[in-house]
Amino acid sequence: MPVYVDISRCIGCRSCEVACKRVHGGSSHVNVHMVRDQASVPVFCHHCEEASCTLACFTQALHKAGERTAFDVEKCTGCGLCQLACPFGVVWTDKIAHKCDLCEGKDTPTCILTCPANALSTDFELAAARARARAARVAAYGGRR
Amino acid sequence: MIKVDANKCLGCVSCSNVCPSQNITRIDTPEKRSIHWKRCKEECDLCVEFCPAKALTLVPFDEVSPEPNVSFDLVTCKICQSHYATEPMLKRIESVLPANLQLDSTGLAWIWVCPVCRRNIEAERATKQIILGRSRKSP
Repeated sequence: MPVYVDISRCIGCRSCEVACKRVHGGSSHVNVHMVRDQASVPVFCHHCEEASCTLACFTQALHKAGERTAFDVEKCTGCGLCQLACPFGVVWTDKIAHKCDLCEGKDTPTCILTCPANALSTDFELAAARARARAARVAAYGGRR
Repeated sequence: MIKVDANKCLGCVSCSNVCPSQNITRIDTPEKRSIHWKRCKEECDLCVEFCPAKALTLVPFDEVSPEPNVSFDLVTCKICQSHYATEPMLKRIESVLPANLQLDSTGLAWIWVCPVCRRNIEAERATKQIILGRSRKSP
């Protein structure tokens, strides 16, 4: 259950970054990238099924808990291996590792509640429907012209 | 006192992070990382326990043996040329990940690309997906 992003809705306001910082003691686990003048892309942890970060972590501080890639701060030594093992560069370390925990303990992650453009959701069906609609538009009208 | 097997040490920051008495110092310069173990009298072995490479051992204190010191040249990112990690750490990642995870969909060996560039690639990929769907005719 990762956070699904509909990039065509993202307005690049960085509210998700700020919300994440607010609930995680000043360190954001989201990075909103501005790709030239074309799009803004919040880069999130994918909570990979076969998560590289959990394979690299030698203390099992990072581990799979159901669909989530969970993080146990008590076991983290801050070695930095997870940061180098993440294919998307969304895990980072200072004295300990920082990564999206889907706001553990809350029903809905704070970034989703905050996004004013409705670009974020944890609803797979919704994300899949939007992706299908986008693909259908490309099929029906062709790409950019 | 701590004995270090320099061939096993990854150059990570685990030991210097867990040492309760700051006896392990790490000096990061833009191109090099050096780690220095002070001659400690402690009986604590937290660093030994939390070394991912099992490179450290606790040995009895003596006043003559030199303080261990290791240094690593940092690897440069294949894309932006920034220095971002020690080679043994990246080699270790290569050894623990299954081969099918080590190349992305374009065949890029992403382990040798720095985390910042990895994020940029991810953002670029997502952008390509949506600009294809932008059409003047679409509703």
